[in-house]
Amino acid sequence: MRAKPARPDNGAASGASGLIVGAVSLRDFRSYAKLDLELEPGLVLVTGPNGAGKTNLLESLHVGTQGFSPRTRADQQLVRFGRDAARIALRGDRAGVPVELEVTLELGTGKRASLNGARLRAAEQLRGEVTTLVFTPDRLVVVKGGPAARRAYFDRVLGRLSPSRAGLSAEYGAAVGQRNAALRRVAQGLSSRDALPPWNEQVSRLGAELVEGRRATASALEPGFGERAGELGLEAAGLGYAAEAPTVAELEARTERDLERGTTSIGPHLDDVAVLAGDRDLRAFGSQGEQRLAVLALLLAEAELLEERRGVWPLLLLDDVLSELDPERRRILADRLRATGQALVTSASRNALPGEPAQTIAVEQDRDGTSRAGAA
Amino acid sequence: MFSPSVDNLVAQLTRLPGVGQRTAQRLAFHLLRVPKDEALALAHALEEVKERVRFCRDCGNLTEDETCEICRDARRDRAIVCVVEQPADLISLERTHEYRGLYHVLGGSLSPLDGVEPEHLRIDELFGRVDRNGIEEVVLATNPNMTGEATAAYLADRLRGRVRVTRLASGLPVGADLEYADEVTLGRALSGRREM
Repeated sequence: MRAKPARPDNGAASGASGLIVGAVSLRDFRSYAKLDLELEPGLVLVTGPNGAGKTNLLESLHVGTQGFSPRTRADQQLVRFGRDAARIALRGDRAGVPVELEVTLELGTGKRASLNGARLRAAEQLRGEVTTLVFTPDRLVVVKGGPAARRAYFDRVLGRLSPSRAGLSAEYGAAVGQRNAALRRVAQGLSSRDALPPWNEQVSRLGAELVEGRRATASALEPGFGERAGELGLEAAGLGYAAEAPTVAELEARTERDLERGTTSIGPHLDDVAVLAGDRDLRAFGSQGEQRLAVLALLLAEAELLEERRGVWPLLLLDDVLSELDPERRRILADRLRATGQALVTSASRNALPGEPAQTIAVEQDRDGTSRAGAA
Repeated sequence: MFSPSVDNLVAQLTRLPGVGQRTAQRLAFHLLRVPKDEALALAHALEEVKERVRFCRDCGNLTEDETCEICRDARRDRAIVCVVEQPADLISLERTHEYRGLYHVLGGSLSPLDGVEPEHLRIDELFGRVDRNGIEEVVLATNPNMTGEATAAYLADRLRGRVRVTRLASGLPVGADLEYADEVTLGRALSGRREM
């Protein structure tokens, strides 16, 4: 196992500058009618029986810090059944500065978010303020799903590492949409071929920026990814992204073919980022366990990269990650998570976590289906 | 629901941009309530504007004559032409009082998704002006969004070599705080920074 190079550490505890959620207050969020919970920095274990509301608690922290749920785009599902509004209020500390975040979801009227009491234009703006990384069992799709899932993932990482490029992928997609529309109009005889050049140019220009961004993301992520994966027992893990953006000439050369199909047949909207162990592509040739380790290693690598670049750890939310790991890997993961600012990990079993967590939260469900949580 | 003519009025109003069913109803009832000549003044204004106003033969700006006031103004610099998407953009630029050249209104931006191709815009007219009228510089002032940028790139490609082509800079709004600037604008301002 390779050792991680020492990061410059001015004697300060490395988690001191991270976002630490000190208190969560929920009203009518999912299975919670009312919750007021104090949280500790460091590794927090959230434990309780299946269906008690552990995932809902993690989800509330994601909504409260990012403005949206990692599970669903249907915000009305977040409001407790039979209620018409939910509220998530978080108090925390970022680099020693107190931070207050609040998100309210009202059926019919939508979502509102505020930061330190000041209303934000859109709840999603929170993403620019605080970074939260999440692992859930369905995140395996990043490794085992189709190329679209991986493209979306790496484009999101690009947006987190470089917020000014967060919209690049959507912008490129819009240019491809315009080119495709032009192709169909030309094919139907509605317009002349003169309609294509402006969009060849936009697809080529934005495509080059997107490819460059993805390449920078993959190469920034790769060393940490290899190390964290190696620690967890996945040897020689790496990322492969060898794409080139199409030039205007290449797009022009495809004109006949693209006219026939009505779509743009080259460009980064068709690329894939290979997640590898040696030269083995884990999408096709990895076991479920290896795929899980790869997703986990990607998350840890991104967290470290964000800390290295901004001096602030992202908040980490890991749902149901321990049950599938053997005790040695659990220990390695727990040690890594302890070194970050704050990480919440769910588990049905209180003993799943090697060593003592900074705090254990016990989640229970009342007979009427509402969840309760408190320090155990 | 009310009477065929009220329904028709509501339907006509709903076709205006930014007007929904409710607003249309409110406007319709307002028009029913006001004195007849006040309501008809609106109808006359509509009729007049559609009859009198047309596009300037040279630049595509709105005018009631053959050519617009700007094109007729002898004090204007005829060697420079600023290309905008809509007459409203021209008005914004005029408000600066900084620009003394002529304009060229395209009438939109390229967007195949909305069925807008080069032949739907006043692009050939622009090339004609450049070739005939001794123009030295074309300033591309289309919107800094996807379709505006595509239009600007398209024009720049075709004008290069014939005339000097410039593009409006993009950057920070004056008087604003950096603190409130969005990342994309700030990123562009950074990459377009200049020596001082």
